[in-house]
Amino acid sequence: MTERSTAGADSAGSVAADPLRARFDRARVFSWAQTIGIVVLLAIIFATPGFLAGPSILSLLTTVSFIGCVAIGMTLITISGNIMSFALGATVGVTAMVFILAVNWLGFGPGLVVGLLIGSLLTGLQGLLIGWVRANPIIVSIAALALIYGVTQAFTEKGTIYADPGTVPASVKGKIAGIPIEFIVFLLSAVVAQLILSATRFGRNLFMVGSSFRAAEAVGVSTWRTVTGAYLWAGFFTSLAGIMLAIRYDSANMDYGVAYDYDAIAAVLVGGTAIGGGQGSALRTLAGAMVIASVQVMLLLQGLRQEWQYLAAGLIVLAVIILQARGSGR
Amino acid sequence: MWRYLDGPHARPFAVLAACIMLLALVDGDNGRFLSAATAYSTLQTFATISLVTLGLGLTMMIREFDLSVVGMYGMAGCIAVLTGTHYPWFGLWFALAVGLIAGIVQGFIIVRLHLASVGVTLGGLLVFIGIAFVLTESRSLPYDNLGVALLLNERVGGIFSIRGIVALVFFAGAAAIFAWTRLGRDIIAIGSDRRAAMTTGVKVDTLIIGIFAFSGLCAALSGVLLSYSLASASPAGLSDVIAPAAAGAILGGVSLGGGSGRPLGIAAGALTLAVLRSGLNAVGAPPFVNDITMGAVLLTVAVLDGPYLARRLIEARRWARRALGA
Repeated sequence: MTERSTAGADSAGSVAADPLRARFDRARVFSWAQTIGIVVLLAIIFATPGFLAGPSILSLLTTVSFIGCVAIGMTLITISGNIMSFALGATVGVTAMVFILAVNWLGFGPGLVVGLLIGSLLTGLQGLLIGWVRANPIIVSIAALALIYGVTQAFTEKGTIYADPGTVPASVKGKIAGIPIEFIVFLLSAVVAQLILSATRFGRNLFMVGSSFRAAEAVGVSTWRTVTGAYLWAGFFTSLAGIMLAIRYDSANMDYGVAYDYDAIAAVLVGGTAIGGGQGSALRTLAGAMVIASVQVMLLLQGLRQEWQYLAAGLIVLAVIILQARGSGR
Repeated sequence: MWRYLDGPHARPFAVLAACIMLLALVDGDNGRFLSAATAYSTLQTFATISLVTLGLGLTMMIREFDLSVVGMYGMAGCIAVLTGTHYPWFGLWFALAVGLIAGIVQGFIIVRLHLASVGVTLGGLLVFIGIAFVLTESRSLPYDNLGVALLLNERVGGIFSIRGIVALVFFAGAAAIFAWTRLGRDIIAIGSDRRAAMTTGVKVDTLIIGIFAFSGLCAALSGVLLSYSLASASPAGLSDVIAPAAAGAILGGVSLGGGSGRPLGIAAGALTLAVLRSGLNAVGAPPFVNDITMGAVLLTVAVLDGPYLARRLIEARRWARRALGA
């Protein structure tokens, strides 16, 4: 699977310079077309009557933040050339559970640290296996999914655990200047991830590993460290979503993250990050998540049933995947 | 005959036998495991997961991966329940046709646009799930034709059900085609070295489309049989099938790098999972043991199949020797 995309990149490199440039320009044209498309879409959405009314936009901002943080994490995995992870949704649930347990036991601050650590380490461990022996990322994440659900079932007889009253300070719920805190965290995550991607050596290595594993290895990039790092950060951003869900509901449940993997990869792809790796950005994922969420709210406002949201998201993703192929001239 | 019994192709059967013996040992004299009831429930589980496993396994054999089986599994069940209340056969054929066409379309996109199958089938998966939600309006649909449900689950010969027999017949057919026609060898050739297969005259593109069509068909058939026999279909409830399907194919001797495996091995892999699930249940193990076993198997195989494993082991040994020497 990954093999195939690297093979494609290799053959692209061996073509003479001119077609290569033409190909590159086509990719750039496509990328511009996509940006313009997103802007036009957002314009249509904002023009939909009732969209900018308070309640709908506030609930949109909150719901998009949970999936958005997972999507930011997924972006790093996709850029690293490992397509996607199926275990991030389960990680959201685990983080929420562990966070609530730790908060009840140790207090809010330590709970926060424990929650972030557990999510990062769980995902980072998968990254280590994937980076170090180049284990198949899809299978590793499916295995992690089964293991996480199995182990948590073993430890929690009752499905939901609740925070002791008063342990979560009221100041972390609610809004700052009228904007939900969840959304602020999401925006900050996107900015931080973008800084990691474009302003650090790790970020540069990540793009290189994603676009051509062999080339990265040949120039001396420690590929396994890079891949493990990508998964560690992915786990970090994912656990933010779990913790925010736990804070919001004062409780935790393994059902919290169900299907987040799919919503997250949809946001990543719609934002324009290439499924084959080596290309993409966290800010574009932010845009992708906003586009999907806005389309869903628009469909609701237009009077369509909620189910059409799922179908719309699926069709958008399929279209983007096919268009990406056209855009890269393959 | 020995040709088939030694070497990598025997591994799935050895694992299956080992699992059965282990569970029989754990059970001891209680008679909970080696009973007709456990055999029946094993075959029911087999019927539920084996066909999806076969479809997914075949795509893995040619070094692709059909993620959309999960979506097709759920969607086909919903379609059959919606259209087949009065004419069960119509519901079945309709859902199968949808599965076949969806598979062909996905295969066509993959071949013509030279796209990675994971991406395309991910799109397919999301679309199928969306369609299932739209069709069912997010509810669980009852299937009112209870006669069909009873018939599919009726015991035949003590341990078989009609559903299980359908799955077994499907596997027998696939195994026969694999053993006695060129198709099997062509599929293995595509998985091992696609370019070489193309030069030797294998119709690679056609076969890839065909395998995705078959995978869609298998997933649809599984979904229909399950929904009919449970007398209900829901868009979300069926989604935990990807882990068993991937685990079954891998246990069945399909390697992640493509080019190995065969239908009978996949049958043994799916049967191993079914034996584990029903057997662990019969000897009174809590349900999460099953998830953990499956996850551990998948993780182990993923690491053992890792292309850099040998290199890393050598590096680690060298490092350890240097550390000890210093």
